[in-house]
Amino acid sequence: MKRIALCVCLIALLGCRKKQAPHTIGLAVDVGGRGDQSFNDGALRGLEIMAAGLRYTARGYERLGEAEYRALLPSDLREMPFPHLAIPEPLVLSGKAQEDYEPNLQLLVDQGAELVVAVGFMMEPATRAVSARNPNARFLLIDSPLLDASGRPTTAPNVRAVVFRENEGTFLAGVLAGTLTAGKIGFVGGMQLPLIRKFEAGFRAGVRQANPSAEVLVAYTGTFDDERKGIEVGHDLYQRGCDIVFHAAGLDGLGVIKAAQQAGKLVIGVDSDQSHVAPGNVLTSMVKHVDVAVYLAVKDVLEKKFSGGDIVLGLREGGVGLAPIGGMVPAPRREAIVLELEKLRAQIVGGQLTVPSTLDELAKFVAARP
Amino acid sequence: MPELRARLFSPARDTLWGAFAALILALLISFVAIAASGRDAATGFADLLSGAFGGPGPLGETAIKSAVLVLTGLSVTVAFTVGLFNIGAEGQLIWGALAAAVIGQRALPGAMALSLLGAAVAGAGWGLLAGWLKVRRGVHEVISTILLNWIAIHLVHGWLVAGPLAAAGSGAMVSIAGTEPVSASAWLPRLFAGSRLDLGFPLALAVAAAVWFLLTRTVRGFEWRAVGAGRDAARASGIPSSRCICEGMALSGALAGMAGALLILGTEHKYPGVFRTGYGFDGIAVALVGGGTALGTTAAAVVFGALRAGATRLQLVGVHPSFAELTQGLAVLLVAAPRIFQPLLARLRGRPSAAASAPPVPTVQP
Repeated sequence: MKRIALCVCLIALLGCRKKQAPHTIGLAVDVGGRGDQSFNDGALRGLEIMAAGLRYTARGYERLGEAEYRALLPSDLREMPFPHLAIPEPLVLSGKAQEDYEPNLQLLVDQGAELVVAVGFMMEPATRAVSARNPNARFLLIDSPLLDASGRPTTAPNVRAVVFRENEGTFLAGVLAGTLTAGKIGFVGGMQLPLIRKFEAGFRAGVRQANPSAEVLVAYTGTFDDERKGIEVGHDLYQRGCDIVFHAAGLDGLGVIKAAQQAGKLVIGVDSDQSHVAPGNVLTSMVKHVDVAVYLAVKDVLEKKFSGGDIVLGLREGGVGLAPIGGMVPAPRREAIVLELEKLRAQIVGGQLTVPSTLDELAKFVAARP
Repeated sequence: MPELRARLFSPARDTLWGAFAALILALLISFVAIAASGRDAATGFADLLSGAFGGPGPLGETAIKSAVLVLTGLSVTVAFTVGLFNIGAEGQLIWGALAAAVIGQRALPGAMALSLLGAAVAGAGWGLLAGWLKVRRGVHEVISTILLNWIAIHLVHGWLVAGPLAAAGSGAMVSIAGTEPVSASAWLPRLFAGSRLDLGFPLALAVAAAVWFLLTRTVRGFEWRAVGAGRDAARASGIPSSRCICEGMALSGALAGMAGALLILGTEHKYPGVFRTGYGFDGIAVALVGGGTALGTTAAAVVFGALRAGATRLQLVGVHPSFAELTQGLAVLLVAAPRIFQPLLARLRGRPSAAASAPPVPTVQP
């Protein structure tokens, strides 16, 4: 009996143990986990590398030197100042299963995190539940607005929701692919969601803008976490004659890049600059600055300027864009293309050109006059 | 006192003690592995404990996972009883989950019970298919259930949930994956505030008791066990063995199907776009550690459920959350080699000489 009582005491003690250092930031990723070189890693880069100045290794966190930090920053951010913020080692949790999202977010709140970052729209229901239960905790939800019980977008004072106009970035990727292709281009999506359809609509509009006669073959893998599927689908598209494939498929996309390596063809990466995965094959990447969104939210929390509500980031806000074009495009040609892309970018930013965000809008899209 | 010891550690209980020792040893090895990788293993295990039992929230998470594992474990156990190795609990679980999500969308009277029933029927159908293939066409159930898993995964995840049954999205900025939500009347009611513990856990325990009764206290259970012990002998003594196999596989599938329903009606409240389970496969581990009995399976399911719920917190000390699977795998490996613990058990029994001459104790017959 005594022993049981002792055990109960011990467990009770463990339950209310340790509080984290001040300014601890927590982040939870979905089942895709760390290491997708894309979306999740973008969010982790914003928190670990940019905000905390730490690099995650198998042995734990290592502090980054200034030169290393510059090298790890996305190429289009190197000119801008992103000084490290005074935060301790972040708490990062990945969910093994969908029912872990809610306890993971709650655990980060319980650990005293001053900001809890929920990465990915799949965390939306969990964020909704945990933010309602903990009105004093602050949340950053990426890729989805907060929804109410009937699925309509809503806001909460303690939740900042960040969404992107990815179609504006993929439009530029499409223009680039359309300019360089011999006639056939591939698009690989992950799951068939409105979010990924938005990537597709922008990309196909861009191809139509640059090269109306080019054909776009579209394939969806149905997942975001199965590299093998990406390899299969990528092989298939290259075998059917595509010379450039753009992927918006998370971890599956790494498989598409592998397929491009094996086929010796070009591929366009997504979310993060993926040129380091296959320098000879990655033409460019449609970067989506989840990293900046995370960094700015952490900064706002530290400066006590954090506010809830929705934030939409597109080309104008620097939330999306293209990574530098790889060396496989010879220099004089590249100059011309970059000039053309810059012209279209200015048109989108200026509002003269509206990029379709759904397939319905794509059907009505007419290429802009050059 | 020696009598008590001899009874406590009687050879009939070798399976139980073997499983117990295997679990302890598996945890010990995991502890050493974490420590060897330079992590703070003591803090990690303290976190693990608090993540599994430290308060109503963690207890609720343990209960959610345990309830699902109880049912998938029983699914595999029931198939063991009729002499089949059901690797297909995963596929049966997926169909059950989908059935629960589809039926639960309609706000019918008794929606929860109907959804659970529908899930059981859907899982039973998928299980029965493997049973029927076995008795009519002689297809080995290991092969058929593995293949049926993939058919279920691709049909449901790749097509139904992404296509015909997908929820209608509203605009380009809102991303919804999976089916339409389940109506609130079909949700499993939560039992305490501050915890996600729902009706699923008591329900799973009740089902476990019913399965125990069926397998050990009824004529049908006796027939199933006879078929499992020797199909030809059972048939020769007048037991309709083909029918028993089909019945057993149907019940096995029904249990796995209900496990899927618990996840949908308890926590997800729709069929999610990414449904990562693995509970069907873990059911095999649970059944093996549980020694092929309903009670042992239930106990093993609770242990593994707690381990899974707690293992998430190991990330706080930098250990990958897959740790739970490592421990689980080790435990199965150690249970599969029961002889390791024979000398230890013999010593505990207090009659070291008897153990050497004792015939080997039969264990699970997968």
